[in-house]
Amino acid sequence: MAKFPSVAWFDAVRDIYNHDDAMHGAGSGTCDCVVGVQVGREFFQLIFEGFECSEARKVTKAKLDECDFYLHMPSKDWRAMLQNIQEHGHATDNYTLNTLDLDRAEGLSTSTHNDQYREDLFFRYNQTLQFFFNGAARLRTTF
Amino acid sequence: MATAKDADRIRPALTLSKEEREVEVPEPRLNWMNQWREWGVRVKPGKKGLTLGSLNVGLYGEIPMNWPDRTRNPRGAIGVTGSPPVAIQIKDKVDLWAPCAADLYEEAIQRRWAPATDVDWTAIHPLPDDVERAICQVCTEICQYAIIDVEVITSWQHQMAYGYHEVKQFLATTSLDATRRHEAFRKRALVNGGGLGYEGPCQVSRLLLESRGGWTETVTGLTLVRGLFTQVMIRYLTRFAHNGVERKIYECVTQDLARLLTYGIEHIKYALAHAPDKQGSIFTTLAIGMRMFNRDLRDPVLREALAIIFGGGIPGARNEGMHVFYEMLDEYVQELLSACQYLRLPVTMEQLPRILQKDQRHLPGD
Repeated sequence: MAKFPSVAWFDAVRDIYNHDDAMHGAGSGTCDCVVGVQVGREFFQLIFEGFECSEARKVTKAKLDECDFYLHMPSKDWRAMLQNIQEHGHATDNYTLNTLDLDRAEGLSTSTHNDQYREDLFFRYNQTLQFFFNGAARLRTTF
Repeated sequence: MATAKDADRIRPALTLSKEEREVEVPEPRLNWMNQWREWGVRVKPGKKGLTLGSLNVGLYGEIPMNWPDRTRNPRGAIGVTGSPPVAIQIKDKVDLWAPCAADLYEEAIQRRWAPATDVDWTAIHPLPDDVERAICQVCTEICQYAIIDVEVITSWQHQMAYGYHEVKQFLATTSLDATRRHEAFRKRALVNGGGLGYEGPCQVSRLLLESRGGWTETVTGLTLVRGLFTQVMIRYLTRFAHNGVERKIYECVTQDLARLLTYGIEHIKYALAHAPDKQGSIFTTLAIGMRMFNRDLRDPVLREALAIIFGGGIPGARNEGMHVFYEMLDEYVQELLSACQYLRLPVTMEQLPRILQKDQRHLPGD
């Protein structure tokens, strides 16, 4: 059991993601980027290197500059997404990263640097990122 | 199995005559063995393995602004003099380069997928007839886009100098991506009791196929007009996917297209940075592309098919479905303007066709 959001929670998901070959197969594979996560007023950084998510750390808002892109939602929306994942075993319907990005007026993925090359990593690695968050289905999450 | 009789028949042929035995075999000179432009290179694999980009060390990493050698001589090798030139027309780096090409090549290889086995085709289930027909129509048009992509990309590939092999190799993966896209959508159209529908109007396709002025201009149409729109459309299809089959196809194709878009946008950026005078031809190509796209959008077939998918059937197509269709166009415009801003191309909403302008378009019933 782990509380979202926290480094412990991200570490638990990392462990699931890093050790499940099914999350690295067709259409997924190696992934190299630094992903920021904003949950309300809390900020995290996820480092993806090759086939693993090598580190998760809590950071200040200023560190979002170092991220290729960051995913931002209010706490209640993150909670709704994770509850959907736990209920179905993976994100469905309106709770996939793709749909959340399309449905939200301000999008889900953004950056502080407006570098399109780095922002587009969200689309190039979309399935890997979805697999990562789908890993939360195997974790008891508290909020 | 060879018999003793066969052996008797073969043996005389292998027996050398006296003259043949006396043919002088010259001592090997081995003078080619010291002819290297740089020897002793030892590239070490990193976390991502031994990547194409990591091989760019020493003189092997020298990528000149111009590659006048019109042969198939690999970069870094010693060329043979007197080779007849091949049909290489793109010899300037500015006309094809994107700094990310080697990384994109590795990414395409690493993140490959196979529609035949990586999609769980058993997860398909019958859909209402109107929805199935609409999906099959959209699949038909996406198949056609994919065919055009292959034809356009391959028609330019052989004209590119071998000094820029990173780009040539990456483009080879985009051709494969496009054929896989064709394969996946054709399979989706034929797997659930439907079939292929109407060929689309294809004004944009004609523009791409007939683009002969330059690769950069072709990339402009391929990326900012056709590619970006297709990616946004497939992202919306993902949102309205009916089953795991469609979801898997759409998700994988979105990633495949994202690589092509990244190459295209980064190439245009590189071209504009090193040859600012290209801005005029890029801008003009985009303007023509928008006119062609506008004509394509006048054709009701794709619009109605998408509206049926987004509206969950014919009854929902007129309102909810068309509303989502226009929302999809707005998303495309947003992505297009964002890319143009990144490229510092002076494109504004007012310059786009009225159907793409949220405040200017006339909705059915207005």
